[in-house]
Amino acid sequence: MGTAQAAILVLAAISLCLSLWAARADEPPQWRFALPAPVAVTGQPMFQTVFDYTPETGQAHSPAIRLTPEGFDLLWFEGSAEAQADVDIHAASFSRGPDGWQAGPSAPLLTRGDLGAAMTPSQIVVTLGNTIENEAVPGALYATVASVGGWAMASVVDVRMADGGPEQAHKLNLSPLLNRSNLVKSPMVAYDDGTHALPAYFEMGATYGLLVRLDRHGRVRDTRRIGAAPGAGKPIQPMIVPLDETRALAFLRDFDPSHQLLVSRTQDGGQSWSPAAPVGIENPSSPVAALNLGEGRILMAINDDADRPQRLRLILGTNEGAEWRRLRQFEGDGALRYPMLRRLPGDEIVLTYSKGTKRGVVAHVFNPAWVAAQ
Amino acid sequence: MSGLGASAALAVLSGWVAFALAGWIAPPGLSAGLGALAGAGVVLAFRDSVAVGGAIALLAPFGVMLPALALRHVAVRLGVPMPGFATWELVAFLVLYTGFLAAAFGVIPVDAYRLGYAPLPVAVMVLVLCAYGFVTGNWFIPLIAVLGQAAWVIGWGSSNWFDHVLHVVMWPLTVVVLVARLF
Repeated sequence: MGTAQAAILVLAAISLCLSLWAARADEPPQWRFALPAPVAVTGQPMFQTVFDYTPETGQAHSPAIRLTPEGFDLLWFEGSAEAQADVDIHAASFSRGPDGWQAGPSAPLLTRGDLGAAMTPSQIVVTLGNTIENEAVPGALYATVASVGGWAMASVVDVRMADGGPEQAHKLNLSPLLNRSNLVKSPMVAYDDGTHALPAYFEMGATYGLLVRLDRHGRVRDTRRIGAAPGAGKPIQPMIVPLDETRALAFLRDFDPSHQLLVSRTQDGGQSWSPAAPVGIENPSSPVAALNLGEGRILMAINDDADRPQRLRLILGTNEGAEWRRLRQFEGDGALRYPMLRRLPGDEIVLTYSKGTKRGVVAHVFNPAWVAAQ
Repeated sequence: MSGLGASAALAVLSGWVAFALAGWIAPPGLSAGLGALAGAGVVLAFRDSVAVGGAIALLAPFGVMLPALALRHVAVRLGVPMPGFATWELVAFLVLYTGFLAAAFGVIPVDAYRLGYAPLPVAVMVLVLCAYGFVTGNWFIPLIAVLGQAAWVIGWGSSNWFDHVLHVVMWPLTVVVLVARLF
């Protein structure tokens, strides 16, 4: 045996020690969804438009909802135009007052410069896109960040906030292509073991949804592709709705102009997903928002007319989405798109979306009694 | 710590570029010295510059392999005995790595990258590379595999082992080396 072989045996022994260390420290993800209690229909129907915002110039688009102890925040990206080098994340806070929900002033929350400085390692951030709440860490965010190229070169960044700004941030390790071409849009999914999964999507060339399992430190521990299969369209922007501990639906936007909403299903807690297939509802290649209300009911905000993106509807699925009926229609000048639905601790529901083809942001709050009365 | 690692990797790569350029007119020893100065200078003096921030944004995570290849190249030029790579090894790597990247693009319906998150697959892959190195006598590949595993276990940088031992720049680099061997 030569010196090289002896050195390699030492390296192999070190590797075995490292593997034992890694195995002992590892917490493999559990695959059972955590389900909230069914919403309770109590009190009088309530529907309130709490926000209708249009910036003086430029665009405001892709609003998201972050829950806070006082109520919730709305977050959206704002700048001269999407993907330009002047886009930052803006926010407004909402709290319940004696006259209902009150909006605080809107202001920049996450700027490109602050985020670039907070990133490890610090680096340039050219533009910001879809940003959602990191539900596993109070106040934290997941931001879609582009440092070079367009959205196909974007990365998902875990942003920890402190004193109203980013304190630490790092890119999630989601692809061997320099961690690029992954984006976020929809809220996270809670698991029974106390962790959360992040719905993301890959959109360089072939597209697919991605369920990202994170460990307790926020590092990526596993990923599973959603809806990917030859002939399954170009599924992106998964909106995951758990039905029970192991079954869930993922509604997906078809990036191809099929004018159909796609759905993928899991029966093993998200470990495997069926090929994306049309669900039988029209859609002009727009993302949807959805909530499980319990007892087989799914509330969805969707553009369900392929020729009229300026029409956004709230629809209610029963029998786990086997049948759908329309609840309420919103119309405006220009497209109403990129909805998000979140349930507040008191069972009220927040709906937000962008209006006027990315020109502004609207938000409504309503209660289950209002849903039941439609 | 991953920020320090990225800065160190960028220093090595910047230094290697300076070494390669200086090598056209200066002997290897002087070129290596100039490269070391250039690498340290880029990271220390221009750490907050647009150029360095852009390079990190573009190329991070650097991993272990890319800076190790740069250092190996410098060492070879300085006359330090280093194991080499046969042409067939480079071709085999290129084929496997192309398949790996194609899978990441969704062209091949297999998600090989996700194996890099879990301890058992990583342990097997590192030991396979050690076994390969043992058979061929090439200690460089096992060294990189184990260093990458150490960084991965400690939590420096990426949570995926593949990011520590591969870098997408290796694809064009391998093509260039193979083309150069034709002439």
